[in-house]
Amino acid sequence: MADVGYVQKDTFLHRLDARTKLVLMLAILLVVLVFTNPFYVLAILFLVLGAWALAKLPLNMVADIFKYFTGIAVIIFALQAFFYPGQTNLLRISNAIPAIGFSGYITVEGVMYGLALVLRLVVIMTVAPLLVMTTPMSDLMLALVKLKIPYRFAFILTTAMSLFPSIQNRAELIQQAQLCRGVGDFESGNFFIRLRASASILTPLILGAFRDSQILDVAMSSRAFGAPVQRTYLLESHFRRADYLFLAGCLLSLIVAIILRLAHFGVV
Amino acid sequence: MDRESMITVENLTHVYPNGVEALCGVSLNVDRGEYLAIVGQNGSGKTTLAKHFNGLLRPTQGTIKVGGKDASKARVSELSRIIGYVFQNPDDMLFCNSVEEEIGFGPRMIGCSKDEIQRRVAETIQILGLESLQDQHPFALSLGDRQRLAVACALSMQPEVFVFDEPTTGQDYFGGQRIMEIIDRLHTSGKTIIIITHDMQMVAEHAQRVVVMSGGKIALDAPPAKAFTQIELLEKLSLRPPQITRFAFQMGWTDRAILNIREMCDVIRPQGSSPIAGNNGRGGNHG
Amino acid sequence: MPNIIEVKNLTYAYPRTDKPALKDISFQVPEGQFLAVIGPTGAGKSTLCYCFNGAVPRLFGGEMSGSVVVAGLDTYENEIPVMAQHVGLVVQNARNQLFNVNVQGEIAFGCENLGMPRQKILQNLHETLTFVGLQGYETRQPSALSGGQQQRVAIACVLAMEPDVLVLDEPTSELDPMGSEQVMDVINRLNRGLGKTVILVSHDTEFIAQYADRILVINDGMLILDGTPREVFSQAGLLASNRIRPPQVSQLSFELRQRGSPISDIPISIDEAVLLYKGLHHG
Repeated sequence: MADVGYVQKDTFLHRLDARTKLVLMLAILLVVLVFTNPFYVLAILFLVLGAWALAKLPLNMVADIFKYFTGIAVIIFALQAFFYPGQTNLLRISNAIPAIGFSGYITVEGVMYGLALVLRLVVIMTVAPLLVMTTPMSDLMLALVKLKIPYRFAFILTTAMSLFPSIQNRAELIQQAQLCRGVGDFESGNFFIRLRASASILTPLILGAFRDSQILDVAMSSRAFGAPVQRTYLLESHFRRADYLFLAGCLLSLIVAIILRLAHFGVV
Repeated sequence: MDRESMITVENLTHVYPNGVEALCGVSLNVDRGEYLAIVGQNGSGKTTLAKHFNGLLRPTQGTIKVGGKDASKARVSELSRIIGYVFQNPDDMLFCNSVEEEIGFGPRMIGCSKDEIQRRVAETIQILGLESLQDQHPFALSLGDRQRLAVACALSMQPEVFVFDEPTTGQDYFGGQRIMEIIDRLHTSGKTIIIITHDMQMVAEHAQRVVVMSGGKIALDAPPAKAFTQIELLEKLSLRPPQITRFAFQMGWTDRAILNIREMCDVIRPQGSSPIAGNNGRGGNHG
Repeated sequence: MPNIIEVKNLTYAYPRTDKPALKDISFQVPEGQFLAVIGPTGAGKSTLCYCFNGAVPRLFGGEMSGSVVVAGLDTYENEIPVMAQHVGLVVQNARNQLFNVNVQGEIAFGCENLGMPRQKILQNLHETLTFVGLQGYETRQPSALSGGQQQRVAIACVLAMEPDVLVLDEPTSELDPMGSEQVMDVINRLNRGLGKTVILVSHDTEFIAQYADRILVINDGMLILDGTPREVFSQAGLLASNRIRPPQVSQLSFELRQRGSPISDIPISIDEAVLLYKGLHHG
């Protein structure tokens, strides 16, 4: 029900049309995929972080993202560093182990590729909140509809996201109820006790969600959801001059990026 | 009888992570064997206070002792042996395949032996009269029976104190009565009872002490017969005594609140053939 | 007054059950009436509510016989969105019927689905929010509102679709006293102020006694009693056997009668009770 993640501010990015921001997001993702040189990707990451600052979004959230991501990043980086079929040997680890495709060396290309991959993922993870946190869910839905995504689909997508906090609240309540039945001791229990403990939370949660969805179905139909008439919209999207300029800028950057790439810039 | 304190709260303040100060310096003592109702609007701090009793919430400031233990530090599972908390919606906890298994779940989680679990389940079923439901699936029960089962789950932990969060909400009058009978019985057997509720009639008919909360503070703490005479304060807090109590006030009997119909009948006592002998309103001074 | 609702021999059973939830129920509701439906838990009150816009049987499945006609439209022949233009259903538990990102979107939702022009939506949004006393709440998140405010938003949502009839299923059962009072005030004004036909399911017999024109007592899927609050709340035996608690002042009179006082009229409100007992003092 809540507007997940939306941070209400009055900034340039907040005022942009949701469609522009969708295109911007796609453009950044494309550019990031085009270049394999980590320094190019790093430059784009700084661009994204700049946008975070511009939109006055909490930068400590970026830190949180990094924190959660560190473990996975290390694994991804290590895999690339060890197994990327590079030419320039950097460090000898052991003899070659052909059975698992390990040459025995960590290569410069492997390190670069691993870095680029990790940075790409960081960009993807920091770009998505940039859209969600500057755009009310209702605007996002409208943008999807305007982009000819069927209303039903757009509605389900945005509603599912906005129902998340209420599910979270309920999960918390269930957890509290089970804590009172001694479930808090489960770390000391054996595997089966722990299995039982997680069932004690998941079962009521899923059954509850199922019951709620039935009522939701009635409530939505009672408000004429799916009426066989042309739907109207209260919100209007405003495509302003800034949006056109911004879109043009995005396209231009995308083209430049592709030309650079064709000229073998930004490639390892 | 010696008074023995079960719960001692001193200067308790709780600030939620979002900055809302739900409790501002609450002090409260609950003795063993009390029958207490906590009332107040949503957001007045009732539930926040109650969730400190068994460690579901921890004080931002102040101290709380439960059965001699420091409830700001003790584990929830440890406190749940002293405080049995019955949540409003039984569907937030039921998940086992039979009533028996459901009742035995708590004792099993706190490491009771097989024999002990069996003994507790049998005892609980007997106390609450759930024999006929014993082998049924919890989800196949009616709401009223699921609510009784939720009480059973708390009872099998053998706590000294029961906290009931809105035990009658969502039930019709008779369903509510049935739960209240159980609660009364637990009280008679020596348990301490704390009920969080909006149901003033239930408070009037069952509780022995009312704590009215407002804005994270205790606004009133008195027996119902006294608390419900504070008409102005209650009105200010949008709390309405039961209809029979308000009727008595309208009749001008204001020195002591009439709490139920039986009391009212004794006040308007029929005498002989004269239909109603209130003796010009002095009836209020009866009893 | 012409009848806005006609229910005839309505019988319904949910799928995979053999016991019908509603059994041969018939009644008519004249336009503008405030009708209360009371009965114990599990009597079939919510099921009856679902029948008015065709959610039963369209969404729930099961077997239905008899007919439900609202504003001349048979629920058998008309889809729920069509019925929704005439019957606004506020289901039990406000939390589950609010699913939009803010109050404004929530209230506009039904109007948009019906294809109302934007100007009209804006006007209805403004009028209904004012009516339920929540002006200025347009951009608030429904989940961040109090229970009473959520329930008033839910009412505004169906009201904005301009129905003739509002059906409210236990709108105050989970609210605190202040929230209940505000919601009940809105419901009363829906009927007295806007002239809407109101069907209210509630356990709050004190409110019903004061404001409803008529009461249906339902138990075990059957229509047990149909009458004015005075007629219904005077039947001590019937109420008790159907697990219904009348207002306390009525109960008091039953009790006194049982103790031998010859009380002929059963009061249903405090004012009436005061009149009766003061009168008896002087009489």
